[in-house]
Amino acid sequence: MDNTPPVVNVRRYTVIRNIILVWVTVVLFAAFLLNIPKINILEHTARNLYFHVPMWFTMMAAVFVSAYHSFQVLRSGDLVRDIRALQAARVGAFFGILGLVTGIVWSKFTWYVGTDVWWNFDPRQSMVSLQLLIYGAYFVLRGALDDPSKRARIAAVYNLFAATTTPFLLYVIPRQMESLHPGAEGNPAFSEITHPIMRLVFYPAIIGFIGLFWVMYTQRVRTALLKYRVTHDPEL
Amino acid sequence: MNWIRGSWAVLQKDVQLEMRSRYALNMLLMFVLSSLLLIAFAIGQESVSERMQSALLWIVILFSASIGLGRSFVAEEERGTVLLLQLNVPGSQVFTGKLVFNFLLLLAVDLVSLVVFALLLNMVIESWWLLVLSLVLGSVGLAGATTLLAAIIARASNKGPLLPVLLFPLLIPLLLSVVRASRAALEGGLGFSGASGDLQTIALFSGVVITAAVLLFDYVWQD
Amino acid sequence: MALSPFIAQEVAQEAQDQATQATAYDSVWAGDAVPTQALSGMEQVMLSNDKLYVVLAVVLIIWIGIVILLLRNDNRLKSVERTMEERGTSFDDGL
Repeated sequence: MDNTPPVVNVRRYTVIRNIILVWVTVVLFAAFLLNIPKINILEHTARNLYFHVPMWFTMMAAVFVSAYHSFQVLRSGDLVRDIRALQAARVGAFFGILGLVTGIVWSKFTWYVGTDVWWNFDPRQSMVSLQLLIYGAYFVLRGALDDPSKRARIAAVYNLFAATTTPFLLYVIPRQMESLHPGAEGNPAFSEITHPIMRLVFYPAIIGFIGLFWVMYTQRVRTALLKYRVTHDPEL
Repeated sequence: MNWIRGSWAVLQKDVQLEMRSRYALNMLLMFVLSSLLLIAFAIGQESVSERMQSALLWIVILFSASIGLGRSFVAEEERGTVLLLQLNVPGSQVFTGKLVFNFLLLLAVDLVSLVVFALLLNMVIESWWLLVLSLVLGSVGLAGATTLLAAIIARASNKGPLLPVLLFPLLIPLLLSVVRASRAALEGGLGFSGASGDLQTIALFSGVVITAAVLLFDYVWQD
Repeated sequence: MALSPFIAQEVAQEAQDQATQATAYDSVWAGDAVPTQALSGMEQVMLSNDKLYVVLAVVLIIWIGIVILLLRNDNRLKSVERTMEERGTSFDDGL
């Protein structure tokens, strides 16, 4: 995320992409082959720690990348920054949806077995859905603005404004709702339920999925730049 | 001093224009009254819990804000006075003037909806000062967010119902704490310690929102 | 369930403190108190083999999501390529 090059460094991208793909493959093998301690309700679903939780981390990373580039739009007025902010938001929203859906499936077949509960008002679930709503509004707002440079500036203002209000959710929502997540009230802390061997897979999985985000995001930025150079329209 | 004078001038202009036509005020009040009546008819004789009462009250206030306050900058564009303001008054003063005007409108909405709601739903208010405090503090944050977003939608080509879409996701933290504070005021028995956390959150949220809005407003306002 | 020697050692240590079947990482969760009914067919499948199929479902969802995103990227790229062909490939913006 350096300041100077407006275009993507393709060679660096290719190298990092190959590393990431191998990395994620190794993580996938480790996730299924390493034995983990048996936990009563969780059983094998404890392995979802390697897949569901990194979605949330990846979306947070995407939100930061998007807000950073929105800030740069306001500073420099560079449309390439706008392309980056938009694509980070799009891929971030995609990971948010994946985190939401996998979380719903996990909780349904683990904690809510034998009930009709699909949607529970878990704080993190609510926060992800709110972040998705914000990005939905962000995309709608972009559609309502015609001139590309005006669109870049005003969408960046909205993105940053939203980024200042969302941290309150971290404080407000957990006081309202019960959680299934570790560390919440009545639940064991993260360190109590994760064996060291799980953390050995978990942290690389986070890095792997954030890397996967970076690969997809860069692909889309490259396509959007191409489109911008041909049609002068940065929207993708 | 200059800064206050500029903001005051913008506020005065808006108030005078409003007093001449009363368009925004009448529309807001009619919206509040009709939605409150709708709620009352829909609920009927059923007694509503304190939580539902405060939630409904705030939803009405939120919706009327999103419908009525969106006009503040659109009206400038329609009258063709944007350029005049841009040239004569710095952005932060325009924002402050509009913010205070929107806040005053919201206070009127608060007052009317509270009185009508209390009559229609037989609301019993245990602690007046807590309710008033949460309404006023909540309105500050609401006015701050709405004023910036109103400036944003004035720039959009398709203005229609854009403001609620942009506004609601941002206001969830405010709505949650404000509903809790008003609920505490309706239930009573909690006193200051029970609601102080929520009031602090509301005040902090309003402060952060207004600071961010002032910082960002210039980018929306300048061409 | 077979445990690796590394885990087995630690588990044995912890098990001295609480002589139960579950390991030290077992705990009470907030969702425990939810009332239950008889299992549906889908749940019986999902819960077999120590709930391994829940993990499979989660991994499949992520994989399908990635596939969808890849296909969408492809479509965007295709449309850009089409416009480039229509207009010729000259870049005139000095980027």
